[in-house]
Formats: sequence, C-alpha cells, structure tokens
Amino acid sequence: MSEFGIYLKMIVTSIRAKMEYRLTFVFTFFALVVFYLGQLGVILIMLSKFKSIAGWTIGEIMFLYGLMVFSQGLTTVFFASLNDFESLIINGDFDRFLVRPLDPLTQILSSRFEITSMAHFFIGSTALYFGSTYAEVEWTFFKVMFFPLALLGAVLIQGGIRLAVSAVAFWTLRNRALVHTAVYSSKEMIYYPISIYKLWVQYFLTFLFPLAFVNFYPSHYFLNRGSSDLLFHPVIQFMTPVMGLMVFAAAYAFWKAGIRNYQSAGH
Amino acid sequence: MPESVIRTFDKAGRRASVVGAVRMSAGVYINFAKKSFERQLAYKFEYFMGVFNGLLFIFIFTSLWESIYSNPAAAAVSSFDRRSIISYAVFAMIIRISMTMEDSYTVIKVRTGAISMDMIKPVNYFAMCFSEMIGLSMYHWFTRALPLVAVSLALFDVTMPGRLSNYALAFVAWILGYLIMFMINFLFGLLAFWVIEVFSFQLMKYGMFTLFSGGILPVDFFPDWARPLIDFIPFQYVLYVPTSLFIGHVEGSQALRLIGLQIVWVAALSVGCWWMWTAAHKKLVVQGG
Repeated sequence: MSEFGIYLKMIVTSIRAKMEYRLTFVFTFFALVVFYLGQLGVILIMLSKFKSIAGWTIGEIMFLYGLMVFSQGLTTVFFASLNDFESLIINGDFDRFLVRPLDPLTQILSSRFEITSMAHFFIGSTALYFGSTYAEVEWTFFKVMFFPLALLGAVLIQGGIRLAVSAVAFWTLRNRALVHTAVYSSKEMIYYPISIYKLWVQYFLTFLFPLAFVNFYPSHYFLNRGSSDLLFHPVIQFMTPVMGLMVFAAAYAFWKAGIRNYQSAGH
Repeated sequence: MPESVIRTFDKAGRRASVVGAVRMSAGVYINFAKKSFERQLAYKFEYFMGVFNGLLFIFIFTSLWESIYSNPAAAAVSSFDRRSIISYAVFAMIIRISMTMEDSYTVIKVRTGAISMDMIKPVNYFAMCFSEMIGLSMYHWFTRALPLVAVSLALFDVTMPGRLSNYALAFVAWILGYLIMFMINFLFGLLAFWVIEVFSFQLMKYGMFTLFSGGILPVDFFPDWARPLIDFIPFQYVLYVPTSLFIGHVEGSQALRLIGLQIVWVAALSVGCWWMWTAAHKKLVVQGG
C-alpha cells in the first residue's frame, strides 16, 4: 500500500469512528450552530443599532465573519488533532508516532478527522452568502478564482499557528494555556475589522501574528473596498496565499526543531 | 437543600451519618473552598496567560466601542455615552472573570463514577459543589479580577465609581448574579445523569450566555421586540445587572427592581435545582459502580 493510501485509510477510519455515534454527531452539529448564532447575534444586533463599524456595513461585516468561520472550519478538519497535543506528550503517546516509518506530523493529522466542522461550514457559508448579498458583491471571474486561494492561505496561516503552538510543548510539556490564547481567544480579534485597533496592533496582526490575512485583507478585494483603511499598498489584498505559505513553512521548521530537541516524558 | 439530602440518604439507610452531616459545621465547606483555591496556585504560566486573556478581551471591546462611538450619530441613538460604554465593557469583562467556574464538575464526577463516593460522604452535594466553585471564583477574584481593575485604570479611559451606593448595590447584585450563574451550571451539570454528551448542551448554554448575558452587548441595545424574551430568561441577571449597577447606568428604584428580579430568579432556580437533584438521585446509574 502506498504511503498516501495509508493516510487515506486512517482518515476514513476516523470518519467512520465518528459516524458510529450518529445521534451525537447530529446533536453536536446543532449545538455548535446555536453557539455560533450567539456570536453572530451579538454582531448583528450591534450593527442593527449602530449601522456600521469602522465604516463597514452589516453585509461587509457578515462577509468578514463568514470568511473567518469558514476558514476556521476548514482548518479544524485538518488540524483538530493538534488541539490536545500536550496530552500526547505528557502521556508519552507521541513516542508511538516516532517509531513508525511514517512522518509523525502526517500520522497525527490523519489520526483525527474533525467532522463537527460541518457546523462551521454551515454558519460560515450562510454568513458569506448573506454578506455578499447585502454588500452586493459582484462575483467576477477573478474573484471566483481567488476565493479558494484565499481560503487555502487562511487555512495555512491558522494551521501554522496551531502547529507552532503545539511544537512549544516539545520544550515545555504543557501548552494548553497557550493554545487557549493563541488559537481561540486571538481569533476574536478578527471578528471585527482590524482598523478599529490602535496602529501598533494592526502592525502586529499583519507582520508578527498575521491573522489579518485570514479575513481582513482578502475581504477588501471581494468587497471592492478600495484602500481607504489599508495601511499598506493595495497589493496586500492578494497576499494571503503567500503569507500562508510563509507562516506554515516557518511553523514547520519550528516543529522540526522541536522534534530534534524532544526527550520523551518517560513511560 | 439539607432536607433533600436527608430524604435521599434515608433510602440508602444512612440516616445516622446524614443527620451528622446536616449538623456539621460550616468548617467542612470552607475547607472545600480553601482547597479549591489552593489547587489553582500550582499553575503559574496558566495564571499569566489568564490575566493576558482578560486584558485581550477588554482591549478588543474597548477598541470596538471607541470606534463605534467615534461616529457622533452612534452616541445619539444609544442610552450609553462614550465614557459609560467604555466603563461597561471593562467592568463587564472583569465581573465575568470574577465569576469563573468549572462547569463540567458534576459531569466528570458522573462519568468517572466518583459521584457515588460523594453521595456516600456525609455532606450535602449542592453545598460541596458550591463551596468548590466559591474557592475557584475567589482565586479568580483576587488574582485576576483585581489586578485587571488596576491595569485597566492605568491603560483605559475608565475611573472607579465615586458613590458608595454603587458599590453596595453592585455587591448585592454580584452575589445574586453569581448564585444564578452557579445554579444554571449546576442544572446543566445534572444533565449528565440522563445524557452522556452534556458538552452539546453546554455549547448551547455558552451561545445563549454570549448573546443575552450582557457580557459583550448591554441588553439596552436589543430591539424592542426582543426585550420581553430577554426579561424572561435568567442570563441578563448574571452580568448585565451587576455591571450596570456598578457603573451607575441603572440607579434608584429601577436598580432595586432589578435586584428584586434577581431574587425571584434565585428562588426559582433553587426550586429547580432541588427538584432536579432529587430526580437525578433516583436515576443514578454509575458506570462500573
């Protein structure tokens, strides 16, 4: 069996394991939708009261939110197994991946296929649909072509962050608090246009912790917003795929350095 | 609550030890709280990340309101002015942190079967659970909420309220809001006696809490047609009421009315907890017990 065939088999197995509990799956899906409707509700009520946030109208903000949630769902599909990476290290389970003749990262990523991200897709695409309707987005040929590229870049950025945060556990054993801040809390920053923040924070979200490329910059292109609230040359609207590759390459190098440094917790 | 314990323990034939439990001094429960407080001190990095997280959220929402209120038309349609909405954002987040609880406490105990040991112990489970949460929350009060007050006063455009009555009213509203939050969590935790996957219910609770508690969005901003719904569910009494009373957004007889409604909710939820605990006790099937 080819190496790729093995990964495929692992993914199919984990999906089938999830589908064993069909009722749980349906119920979790429904619960996640309620959860995200709570978040979306806050934004919608805020906008119905105040009409716009930093010059972004209700449709534009929904598009921004949709792009964020949809790409988050896609990231979760591939990277969910890293959420609890510290327990692999603490329990010594990571050693099992090292002794097999396959790349440890690919093994871990295909060990858990998070099917609950269907809820993210549902909420994300609903928000994108209504967002682009209200904001009257014109889906030109190039926008349709660029959309999957922007999604890919967004997934690589978020996946790269998860990978780098996981690699920290090679040195510290524990990383749960860091996961909480860097993966979950931080994304609340980009539910809103980053132009609401002070300048240094906008720079931070562009260069050091480039979440702004997940939704803020590409949305400028899809929404034809021009460059009124861009700090940089308008070409930045198209840089998400490039940024994604850079972030993921850096994170992967960091992960590799972590494995070289890794000493088992000892079991 | 003690009555319910006596009755349920009667069935198990442990009358003697239970009568002792009811008479037991508050010392036991204070110890539960103390231990739960001390357990938290072990994690230093978690602590700093926790403070940072709180600061991050305060920063996000003060930035958001600053931006919205920089448009003069926004201030005109709102019952908050720029200063008061910034205070609201800061203190709502701090009060939320001061109420940090562990909401899978009962769920884990049911899943592992530890609940059976707790039922044998001569203590009231509700009171034990409550004192553990108080310990945890007191930890967050002193080590996260209070430092965040100091940092926020330095970093953001907020001041402490000047009148003593604000502190007194907010103190009462905090206790009542805390009780409401605790009992909502307790009820959701008891679901573990009937369903294995409680997490989904908790997700729905988080969603409703985000939208209706006033932690991010004061309930004043909801459209008029939604107000009856919000008044009919308990979430606004957890964060919106203590925060509004603290910053002086609601005053006088209106403030007392809100505290009265909090008391009504505390009473209603107490009955709910008692009823559901009795039912859960009957239902108890411990895995591997």
